[in-house]
Amino acid sequence: MLLGIVFIISVGSFYLIHLLPGNITTVIEGPGASPSNQAKLYKLLGLNKPLFQQYFIWISNVLRGNLGTSFISQTSVASTIRAALPIDLEMMFLSQVVAFATAIPLAMRSARKPDGWLDRIFSAGSFTLLSVPSFIVIVLLVLFVSVKLGVPHTGPSSYAPFNQDWIVNLESMGLPTIALAIGSFVVYFRVLRSDLIATLQEEFITMARSKGISQRRIMWRHAFRPSSVALLGTAGVNIGGLLAGGFIVQYLLNIPGLGYTLIQAINESDYLLVQGIVLVVSVGVVLINFIFDFVINIVDPRISRE
Amino acid sequence: MSPDNEKLLVVENLATTFSTAGGPLPAVGGVSFELMANETIGVVGESGSGKTVLTRTIMGLQQRTNVNVTGSVLLDGHQMVGASEQEKRAVWGTEVAMIFQDPMTSLNPVMRVGKQIDEALRVRLGMSRADAKVRAIELLELVGIPSPEHRYQSYPGQLSGGMRQRVVIAIALACSPKLLLADEPTTGLDVTIQAQILNLLDDLKERLHMSVILVTHDLGVVATRTSRIIVMYAGRIVEIGSTREVFSAHRMPYTRALLESSPKVTNDPHTRLVTIPGRPPNLLKLSDGCSFAPRCSFATDQCHKERPELQDADEPGHAFACWNPLPATRKRTVKTT
Repeated sequence: MLLGIVFIISVGSFYLIHLLPGNITTVIEGPGASPSNQAKLYKLLGLNKPLFQQYFIWISNVLRGNLGTSFISQTSVASTIRAALPIDLEMMFLSQVVAFATAIPLAMRSARKPDGWLDRIFSAGSFTLLSVPSFIVIVLLVLFVSVKLGVPHTGPSSYAPFNQDWIVNLESMGLPTIALAIGSFVVYFRVLRSDLIATLQEEFITMARSKGISQRRIMWRHAFRPSSVALLGTAGVNIGGLLAGGFIVQYLLNIPGLGYTLIQAINESDYLLVQGIVLVVSVGVVLINFIFDFVINIVDPRISRE
Repeated sequence: MSPDNEKLLVVENLATTFSTAGGPLPAVGGVSFELMANETIGVVGESGSGKTVLTRTIMGLQQRTNVNVTGSVLLDGHQMVGASEQEKRAVWGTEVAMIFQDPMTSLNPVMRVGKQIDEALRVRLGMSRADAKVRAIELLELVGIPSPEHRYQSYPGQLSGGMRQRVVIAIALACSPKLLLADEPTTGLDVTIQAQILNLLDDLKERLHMSVILVTHDLGVVATRTSRIIVMYAGRIVEIGSTREVFSAHRMPYTRALLESSPKVTNDPHTRLVTIPGRPPNLLKLSDGCSFAPRCSFATDQCHKERPELQDADEPGHAFACWNPLPATRKRTVKTT
């Protein structure tokens, strides 16, 4: 099942990238290159072979653990990905921590008194945030935090690897984390709020109340777990999306993560690098969703039984 | 069954009104009664007569918004009407507990049943994890669950309906409440299981010296298990008295109609069940008169215009609300199973 999905994605991405206009030989040799040189290089890179044969060569190398070497930079695709991937993972991790840490308590507050004034404020606020795309958010954040307030290491190109200078690293991760967290927060808040409201209507919540236990305990021990199935499902999809979709933020802030690298590779028709990144990301997305499905089964034992 | 001479519960003029889109809905209107320690009282009536709302209001468990409760519920010295959630929490579990109608929905589906029993013990009685587990297994044994150590680890979905209701009872009994509210505890169960659960409740009541309010629409259930019966109609008490008195010397035509509509073993096979014509009134549009008047064959003009208050019958403690009561006689032919 998982392998099937990854196979389909690998074929699809391979085909799509080769549909792109532009000729890689022009990128490598420059616009003034003679047609005969271009043709020679074309043959050298193996691009004259039929597409399915090219795919076969590539995938058999991939299966042997070799993602190939970039036509452009002559560095191995695997090492490029290894350098960029931790940035994406860090961004993803930080933004999800922030998103969950804000969405869960706020959703609980809201669900306690649906349509109360707190709920109205939170819901209206989340709806507003929902309608603002992350590239607007990041631009505004840069404008206020980096430019107006002058907080160091928050503007574009201030990224430093974690093991080099972790203070600068965390500072530079602040804005992208917030920008990505907002998008996740809105979704998590809304999903959890409505599920909590539904769960709190259930008879077993009244039953729990009748034991004389605190509101807080009812929320965390009784209402949260049965309400978190949709939240986890959404989070799985959302995190997968972040892995692929953080690129706007990375692009705007010049953070050399996978998304940023991918855009560059597409611009340069760097076939092998694009294919490598797409493959890694899609495997990651599939894996994350698989893990979340597994977690959901643990959280709600009814699902695996039925 | 000899009730101790101590009032455990005094309900006075209790009224629960819901605010709905269609206007105020008086689910319970002016109910007063008393319950002695160690007594079992039955509350009977059709669906929608306010039985469930009454028990929830007594416990203070009603929903928190769009509801207005007036009157007084004095439970072992605690005033439940108008009490804060925190004040009520101190009473719940230890003074009063409830068994819910449907064990399919009243247990948390994603929490092991053992944990659901433990919880009250640990939070309310401050037991350690290990002590609570031992006690929880004892409770499971008490309510007749086989291999309790094993069942302690089960999720509700792995248990049958009867088992689940036993677990619900175990949870209710965890903190040894003085008053147990059983809201149609057998309605959601198979007929064969119903008697088991009711006998279990009877047995536990005797062993643990509890008072019980047994809510049901099945008169057969209350006939042998209660000392007194409250008959409710449209949110009000229409007749109250000792069980014997209500069965054999009832005065309210509704009580008779209710008794006549239960099937009896003495009936010939294929006897048509007697039903009460019409349907319970719309609580949003109650008339000024007797709520039962539109369905009552004895109704007069007065019945339609003026609401009868509870009046005492011959025997002390027996009262009924009717302008044209059935004659006082002890020879009612109605018998139930």
